[in-house]
Amino acid sequence: MIIQFLLTLIAIAGFALVWRRASQGVLSRIESLSWSVLWIAGVIVVWLPEVASRLARLVGVGRGVDVITYLVLALVCILLFQAFLAIDRLERKLTDMVRADALRDLESKE
Amino acid sequence: MKTVAVIPAYFEGSRIARVITDVKAFVDEVVVVDDGSTDITTKTARAAGAKVFRHAVNRGQGAALRTGTEAALKLGADIVVHLDADGQHDPVTIPALVKEIEAGSDVVFGSRFLGAEAVGMPAHRKYLLGLAKTFNRLALGISSRVTDPQSGYRALSAKAAQRVDFRQDRMAHCSEILRLVTRSDLAWKEIPTTVRYTEETLAKGQKATDAFKIVWQLILGAFQR
Repeated sequence: MIIQFLLTLIAIAGFALVWRRASQGVLSRIESLSWSVLWIAGVIVVWLPEVASRLARLVGVGRGVDVITYLVLALVCILLFQAFLAIDRLERKLTDMVRADALRDLESKE
Repeated sequence: MKTVAVIPAYFEGSRIARVITDVKAFVDEVVVVDDGSTDITTKTARAAGAKVFRHAVNRGQGAALRTGTEAALKLGADIVVHLDADGQHDPVTIPALVKEIEAGSDVVFGSRFLGAEAVGMPAHRKYLLGLAKTFNRLALGISSRVTDPQSGYRALSAKAAQRVDFRQDRMAHCSEILRLVTRSDLAWKEIPTTVRYTEETLAKGQKATDAFKIVWQLILGAFQR
C-alpha cells in the first residue's frame, strides 16, 4: 500500500511538472499531452494492476509486469534517441559557428 | 575557368606540403582547411602556397570540406575539386575531372572501380565497399550506376557546389553527397581514378568499424532538417 501511495505522489509531481513546463513554453502541447497520458496510465496500473495483466493477455505477453517492462524499455530507447538527435543538432550549430569563424577573414575582405 | 582544389587536413604537417606542391600544378588555387590540428599543418600549408582556413576545434572531414567549398566559391572558383590531404588521390586525374565539368557535367566523381587499379587496397576494404554500395542503393536510394560508394575525389561546377547542401560533418559526407547529387537534376558522371594506399594512409584512414559510425550518422542526419 505504501508503494502505491509513493508512486502516485511521484506521478502527481511529474504531471504537475509537465504542465508547469508547458506553461513556460518548454514543452509543446503534444509533448505535454503524451507525458500526461503516461503519468495517468502509470497511476491506473499502480491502483488497478489487473489492467496491465489484461493488456498482457491481449498482446500475448505472459504477465502484466512484463508488458510494462517492454513499454518502459521502448520509451527509454525513444528518449535516448531524442537525446542523440539533440546532441547532433548542437554539433551542427557548433560547426556553423566554427565555419563562420574560419571564413571571417574572407568575409571582411569582401 | 578558375579551378580551386579544396583539401581538408587534420594533423597533416608531415605530408601536406608535398600534396599542395603536386596539386598546384593542375589548379589555379589550393584551399586547405586545417580542421583544428595543433601541429604545423597550417604553417606548412601556408608556406607551400595554399590559402589556409582554420577550424578552431576539430569538426570532421565533411565539415572541413564544406568550409573549403564555401571559401573556394567566395574566391571566385568556377570548378571546385575535393581531394584528400594524405596523398592517396593522384592529382594527375584533376585535368580529366575538370575536362568533364567543362564538357557540361555538374559533378564528376573519381571511381576506384572503373578500370584504374587501386594500389595497395586491402581485400577487406574491397569487400566493405561492396557492402557499402548495396547499402547506398537500398537504404539511401543512391543510383546503382555509382560504382564507388565512398569516393572522396570529385569535382563540382560552381553551380553544383552551391546547390549540394551536404551537412554531415564527419565520414558520412561521401554518401550524403552521392545521394544529393544522384537524386537531383544535376548532370553527374564517374571517371576512373587511381588511389594509392600506403601503410601510413591506412593507419590514419577509415577503419572497418567506421562503417557502423557512418550508418549511425546517416540515421541521425535523416531526422534533422
